[in-house]
Order: sequence, then structure tokens, then C-alpha cells
Amino acid sequence: MVDIDELKKQFLNAEFDSKNFVLDAENLLVVAKTSGETRAQFIDAEHADFQATPAFLCSLASGRHLPIDFPALGGIPMDGGKAVECFAPIRAGQPITGKSHLHDIYDKQGRSGRMIFIVVRMEIVDAQETLLAVSDSRLVIREKPTA
Amino acid sequence: MSIENILDVEFGTELPVFEPDTTLANVGAFARAVGWGGSRFESHEGARKEGFPGALVPGIMGMGFLVSAIHRWAPTGTVEHIDGVFRAPMIADTPAIISAVVTDIDEDEGLVELDMTVKNTKDETRVFGTARLRLPKA
Repeated sequence: MVDIDELKKQFLNAEFDSKNFVLDAENLLVVAKTSGETRAQFIDAEHADFQATPAFLCSLASGRHLPIDFPALGGIPMDGGKAVECFAPIRAGQPITGKSHLHDIYDKQGRSGRMIFIVVRMEIVDAQETLLAVSDSRLVIREKPTA
Repeated sequence: MSIENILDVEFGTELPVFEPDTTLANVGAFARAVGWGGSRFESHEGARKEGFPGALVPGIMGMGFLVSAIHRWAPTGTVEHIDGVFRAPMIADTPAIISAVVTDIDEDEGLVELDMTVKNTKDETRVFGTARLRLPKA
């Protein structure tokens, strides 16, 4: 059985990936409109405050899900949920960088065994390193019982 | 009633129910726009081959539905934080019912907390979560 405290000690809060993005206006529009958005700053590319929806920011993914030396836990990671906190608008065409680290690791005991939750946090910054948003992805792994 | 500022909000208010477009065409367009195009989100047949009951609605699209529901209710508000737990798959071409309730109000800061769910027509929760909305002070 994996020692969660040991994993935390070894992996939390160390950046393991960095990826650059430039958001495409057409994609921002499609995501907003298909989500049922009605606000002009999300569905009108000509609007002075045109920006990405929070849901779009959740789609930004780093090049790797976990640190390269993170141990295999036996199960296939499932997408357990997302969260995003927005500090400033993110515009189409604006160069941004997503820097990823493990923010939390915890477990829950279920009837069918232990589930391990890994929160991957991406900090989204602009070219001046200003923090624009923080996006969390919760990976859920059902631990395979040891023989 | 449309909300304009923090004083318009009452504790326990339920937002108007919002039923978004979950058609396969709409879901597929969303998936392609976020770079997730493929059979899992664009084809019932293809998704079944992967072991799913049908083409999936991406969980983050569910979060997009939640944000849209908030904006329809409070057109002057800004969603500062949203957290969604993907409890079970949403399937394209089946209705999704978005509901939300006000669970906390901070009039001094202009902040509203909401509990939100996406359910199917069997009243089964697919996505649930919370959101924090900033509204103009009166």
C-alpha cells in the first residue's frame, strides 16, 4: 500500500511541467456558445472585454499528467473533477503559460478498496508572470490491492 | 427575477432551472473546440466501443453549463471560482437539468456562494459543485 505522507513529502509543490498557450478566438466562442453562455464578453469576439470562460480554462492541460518519476499506483487515473479560480480575464491571442505542480494527495477508503486523489494544480500566468487563474484537476485512482 | 447587485440576493434562493443543449452535435462542437475531438464525445457508437453507455458530455462542459446558469440569473456577476465533482457520466442526447441554490451571502464583499448540480431526468446527480460569484455592491 502506497504511503500517502511519503508521496506528499516527495512530490507536493514542485513544478513538474510548463506549457505555453495562445487561445484561439473561434474556439473561445464555440465553447461559450455551446455551453449556453449569454454574456456578450464571452460570445462576441468584438466585445471590448472578450475573454475565455472558466470552463475553457479547465480544458488547458499540461504535457504530462503527473511528474515523470511519480510511482505507478496500479489503476487507471480517472477525471474526478475540476476547479478554476479566476483572477483576471484571459484573452484570445494573449500568450500565457501553464505551470503545473501537485497541490494535494489524499485517500478515501471505499467498499471496494482505497481511492487515491491527486490534485494537479496549474497556475496560469501571462508574459509578465502575473497570475491570471488557477486550475485544479482531481485525478482519482482506485488502488489495486496487493496480492 | 434577474439579479443586478448583492442586495437582490436572498439566502436559499433557487436559481431558475436551466436545460442546456446536450445534443451530440453541440457536444461534439464543444469537444473539438477544446481539443478533445474524437469518438468518445462525438459518436454514440464509438463511445460504446470504448465501454461507455453512449457519447459522453465532457465534465468541463457541465461546468460551462453551471457558469451559464449563473450568468443568466445574475448578468452583472463575475464567477470567480467554480469547483465541479464529476460523479457520473453525462450522456449526449439526454437531458441535463441544471439547478443551484444560494448558500451564503457576504454583503460587505459582494460575494455569493452557490451549491450546484447537474442531474438527469431520473434525478440522478451527474456533476455537483460550488461556485463563488462577485456582484456589484448596491
